[in-house]
Amino acid sequence: MKRGELIAGSLVLLAVGSAGLAAKHRSPKAGSKSPIAATVTFDRDIAPIIYTNCAQCHHPGEAGPFPLLTYADVRSHARQIAYVTSKRIMPPWLPDAKGPKFKDELRLSEEEIATMQTWVDQGEAEGNGSDLPKAPSFTAGWQLGKPDVIVRAEKPYTLPASGSDQYWNFVFRTPVNRTRWLKAIEIRPGEKRLVHHANVLVDREESGRRLEKEPGAGFGGMELIIESETFDPDSHFLFWKPGSPPYVEPDGMALRMDKGTDLVLNTHLQPSGKAEPIQPTLGLYFTDKPATVHPMLLQLENDRKLDIPAGEKNFVVTDEFTLPVDASVLAIYPHAHYLGKDLMGWATLPNGKKETLIHISRWDLNWQAVYRYEQPVDLPAGTKIGMRFVYDNSEENVRNPNRPPQRVVAGNRAADEMAHLWLQVLPRETSEGTADPRLAIQEALAVHRLQNDPDDFEAHYNFGALLQMKGDLPGAARQFSEALRIHPEDPTANNALGAMLLASKKVDEAIPHFSAALKSRADYFDAHYNLGNALAARGDFNGALTEFRSAARLNPQDANAEANVGSALAELGNVKEARLHFERALQIDPKNELARENLEELNREEQKRPQ
Amino acid sequence: MGRVFFSLRCVWLAAMVMTLLGLASAWTARCQVPAATGLGLDGHRVDPIKMSAGKVTVLVFVRTDCPVANRYAPTIQRLSAEYAGKAAFWLVYPSKAESAAQIRKHEREYGYKLPALRDPQHALVKVAQAQVTPEVGVFDERGKLAYHGRIDDLYVDIAKTRSAPTTHDLADAIQAAISGKTLTMQAKPGVGCFISDLE
Repeated sequence: MKRGELIAGSLVLLAVGSAGLAAKHRSPKAGSKSPIAATVTFDRDIAPIIYTNCAQCHHPGEAGPFPLLTYADVRSHARQIAYVTSKRIMPPWLPDAKGPKFKDELRLSEEEIATMQTWVDQGEAEGNGSDLPKAPSFTAGWQLGKPDVIVRAEKPYTLPASGSDQYWNFVFRTPVNRTRWLKAIEIRPGEKRLVHHANVLVDREESGRRLEKEPGAGFGGMELIIESETFDPDSHFLFWKPGSPPYVEPDGMALRMDKGTDLVLNTHLQPSGKAEPIQPTLGLYFTDKPATVHPMLLQLENDRKLDIPAGEKNFVVTDEFTLPVDASVLAIYPHAHYLGKDLMGWATLPNGKKETLIHISRWDLNWQAVYRYEQPVDLPAGTKIGMRFVYDNSEENVRNPNRPPQRVVAGNRAADEMAHLWLQVLPRETSEGTADPRLAIQEALAVHRLQNDPDDFEAHYNFGALLQMKGDLPGAARQFSEALRIHPEDPTANNALGAMLLASKKVDEAIPHFSAALKSRADYFDAHYNLGNALAARGDFNGALTEFRSAARLNPQDANAEANVGSALAELGNVKEARLHFERALQIDPKNELARENLEELNREEQKRPQ
Repeated sequence: MGRVFFSLRCVWLAAMVMTLLGLASAWTARCQVPAATGLGLDGHRVDPIKMSAGKVTVLVFVRTDCPVANRYAPTIQRLSAEYAGKAAFWLVYPSKAESAAQIRKHEREYGYKLPALRDPQHALVKVAQAQVTPEVGVFDERGKLAYHGRIDDLYVDIAKTRSAPTTHDLADAIQAAISGKTLTMQAKPGVGCFISDLE
């Protein structure tokens, strides 16, 4: 009833002013509508724009703070919408229009923006109901259907009512008992209004758990370092932002999940005015099709050069990396913090042709996203991938976290800066029998990073791990030593160097590194296990037994640790107890050779023994 | 409408005369501040400025679905507690569509402990010259509009905020009004949801 009155009112106004207004706004590009239809109406002109570009977030349960589904909804925010669209604040989409096409682009045309403005100027007419397209329908709950497994954060995090943005990480222990292949993770971050974006990191080494004050509590922090035991470079962007549908990996690009794999959800939260609990859930969708193609994430960065003087308005950081193999770029994720201003990535092909990969001329951390190319960008070996990020550390940058501005360097806190350009690349398939092309990229990256920064701990460590894979133990040991020169107490690097030395039969040199690893991290399974082996190699079976027992306690499901407890006991003459441990190891893993051989050995010896 | 225009002219005249003749008290006494009323959640007409006699009146314009206004709830509640006894805060909801029940729920959710008024005719919006939610109108003890506009400068634009505000316009305005400064502070437009969308 009331609605009718309002419309009548605006129509009266229109009768006075519509001729002039309509003439002013009917520029030639204004569209294909019949020339009589001078009045912009909701039903015919506005609803299609709103339904396509706004409603996916602006509907109940989604991130938008109010719904935009009906005439009444839109009318009660009409001038606001005209304003935020004209300034391209909404819909949020950072990449410039020039450059390659991305999937799910959210960019209004100039014409659509003008139509919105005209509608408001003309008095926001509703129009003829027969013009109204069907409102989009949204699936409540899981967008991809019922997940195979649902995991929920054990404990909620309570976002304070006020204050600056918060970064919180939730560790999900996944109930996966054998290797599975994941085709999608649907991220339900909890109250979507509060979550600016969220990222899932695959954690195969319990890196996240170690940062929790108590199990399940999660931990704060904007950036994380996740360890990885084997050569298994991160390969997938697992990203959530408001309104984007969950991404399903194409066949053959599934993500491997092993028993004990954790998923860490890194969230960026903004207080809303009331304290709110956030308790995200993840839906896991499995596939029977294992990965047959192996993309990887390639990172350009130059954090060492990030040393921005207070007040500097145009601080530039660049990096350039030469691709050693043919590869296609599938997706891109530029990342800087609050001082970032203009972020650009490009590729210079061997023939000299330069292609923009992404350009964001108005960077805004709040709307950061992973951008997937509509068509993969094919780059031949020898292509130089470049990045150029510009930072504003002056007072004019209102987002500057420091007032007055201060010198800012690279770091993981929100007030530090970053200069990272991540690309998901798919190396071209090579012929059977040749090395994994990802290794070549990884090695080139490590060398490149060490050229940028000879004191890059991670690059030394990763380079060492690569050389280890290639069987170059002395080379690997050198890189791990270099890593330890930078962080002498790092448990992972100490354990890795110890393992190299042990493999090279330098037992006495290895032992102090395992001890150092355990001094930094007492519950380090690998270091206990390796130290046990080293002590056993030296004939100290009592010492070895202690270490293997510690390892088995830390990971009761590890058959090798269990079998080694048995071996140490057997060496010490405690055959009866040793047998129990071998049997238990075989319960955990019936194929465990160490346990089976040792058990057979024991049986043979028992038969030999005179009755 | 007519009455509201009259009231503005009245204030303006009073200010003119104050500066020209220095007869402020005589004129303000005669210059009756016209009633601008809202609807209490029980449906009764309420004149918040009259009801706050002897205190500074702060009208805070909000709407239940404006994220910018909501984000200010803790600040608004904190300032109202800080100046309790000296400044009377009122939440004013200019939406025709927001019911008393919705407003009560909104107050509960955001921890507001302030009296709320509905202002479907925008009578209070006009006397406070409010343009967006959240904006405030600060009236001195005599009911004269001393300041209107933003609470602070946390927001630079929609979806563009500083890490912390660098000005505290509402607190400054209340302080000035309490200390009896007669000069009107310059209005500072707020960032938020356009009240004109609710006309």
